[in-house]
Amino acid sequence: MATPLPTFVTRRRPDWDALQALLTRQRAGRLGLTELRTLDTLYRRAAADLAQAQTFYPGTDAHRFLNQLCAQAYGAIYQPPRERWASTRDFFRRDFPATLRREARFVGVSAGLLVLGLLLGALVVTLEPRGAELLVPEGVRRYVAQGRMWTDDLLSVAPPNAVASGIATNNLTVTLFAFASGILLGVGPIFTLVNNGVLIGAVGALCFREGMAAGFLDFIAAHGPVELSIIVIAGGAGLMVGQALIDPGELPRAQALQARGREAVKLVVGCAPFLAAIGAVEGFISPGHLFPTWAKVGLGLSLGALFWLYLLRAGRTVAGVARADVPEASASNRLR
Amino acid sequence: MTPSAPAPHVDVATPERVALSLPVAGIGYRCLAWLVDASLLFFFWVALYFVITLLVSDVLGAFQALSGLTQTLLAVGLFATQWLYWTLAEVFFHGQTPGKRVMRIRVVREDGSPVGFFESAVRNLCRAVDFLPVLYATGCITMLLDSKHRRLGDLLAGTVLVREEAIDLDKYTQGPATDAAPASTPAPDASMQRPLDAADVELVLAFLARAPGLEPEVRRRLGTRLVDRVGASLTDEERARVLQSAEGTEAFLRTRAKAAH
Repeated sequence: MATPLPTFVTRRRPDWDALQALLTRQRAGRLGLTELRTLDTLYRRAAADLAQAQTFYPGTDAHRFLNQLCAQAYGAIYQPPRERWASTRDFFRRDFPATLRREARFVGVSAGLLVLGLLLGALVVTLEPRGAELLVPEGVRRYVAQGRMWTDDLLSVAPPNAVASGIATNNLTVTLFAFASGILLGVGPIFTLVNNGVLIGAVGALCFREGMAAGFLDFIAAHGPVELSIIVIAGGAGLMVGQALIDPGELPRAQALQARGREAVKLVVGCAPFLAAIGAVEGFISPGHLFPTWAKVGLGLSLGALFWLYLLRAGRTVAGVARADVPEASASNRLR
Repeated sequence: MTPSAPAPHVDVATPERVALSLPVAGIGYRCLAWLVDASLLFFFWVALYFVITLLVSDVLGAFQALSGLTQTLLAVGLFATQWLYWTLAEVFFHGQTPGKRVMRIRVVREDGSPVGFFESAVRNLCRAVDFLPVLYATGCITMLLDSKHRRLGDLLAGTVLVREEAIDLDKYTQGPATDAAPASTPAPDASMQRPLDAADVELVLAFLARAPGLEPEVRRRLGTRLVDRVGASLTDEERARVLQSAEGTEAFLRTRAKAAH
């Protein structure tokens, strides 16, 4: 027969209290080397005590306490490698573009959906003039009817940095939603892509019909290429999630979802800074007539080209080197 | 104090070959934690609003010049409260936003290890979907259907919320203060009897911890039932002596629980 429960608790409790105190200190900051050794020893002792409690005192408060204590210590000791500066750099230098190239299939489908939307919107407005009433927002229609661009007034009501931040956060929200809604069986990204495509196509066709194609081009040229690319990539990430849900392959559905979700979110996180930057372009450069159209077109095309050059080339040749200069051991043995 | 209720658990196999089982936080804890976080953010904005309106009345001209910057900060700040707050808090505070800390719940991976940046980003990006159509309706329905109370974001990220309980070990160790008593109290050869099993010890200690707060009548009735349960080998005379007063009953029970002292 084992020791009675109160005796067991009384004898072992100092160690548990010490472990708990160490864990509190570990959460607040770093521990020294000797403290780490103590943490390790105490954790092993507590684990042994837990095993004893599981056998002799199941379902008691002492058992639950030990279980919780060991869980906290386990979380503190077996930490995943921390994401730090080096790994952030590594992510943008290698991981993000590599993930994109690996999942190019989904990005392709996503681009196809956007183009489909564009064509649909343009076709409807071109073939059926009243279609614009359905597809183009009323505010935009009113401006076009007066023969002006709706973006001309954008800068007169607010300074460019406010416009830029407003646009950037709005676009980020749309992009993030295009990804997150992938969990609704992939319907969300499909809707977002086609919807945005239809809107742009319809507005473009309306401007063209009203003889304002130059104005439309003037506005979208600078930021369009990169911004649409990013929407397409985020939509592709959403489609990845949807595909994992519909066709998990050989994994159980939950596991497939987690594995694909982790890959997909890399695409979204990777796009976020570029989206913020292009929001600045959209706020500062695109509206108004500070810059001539040819400059905007040139800027847009070169930004788009640079973006895709980065996505398709980065980390391709230096993959081995990049892996070598980030020693993983140094990241994982640091406790915090 | 009943042996663990049939609540959902996450089972973890540690390298030390001890199985951990973490209690999963249910929908109630999670809603409360969200309410705390949401009101925190709300009051942050209210406070900011008052500060700014105060500033405007003070230095109107200077403020007008700054309005562009303010609007930028406003847009970025709104974005941050919507998206960044949750992920940053979870990454830097070991899986706990302030609200979760108040409710003592924590985000962990399904194998019990702490969340990383990507998991946290996934589960918080999915807030947009879980929120649909209003007030986390989708998320709540998913939580009710899922065995581990996960919302869609948790399913996609492979995370789960675990609960930390406040467990008091004092009831096991507070004995020594009253250990002196049994010598004078007639608690005959309690330690000679068969030691109790863990469940009975737990029951007796739970009663002893609560006894001072009980109604006298209830206290006596429960005490009598426990004495009958753990003191089967008492003679009638001994039993009557033990049951004479509440203190005597409890001293007997305490000695009995610590039988091997």
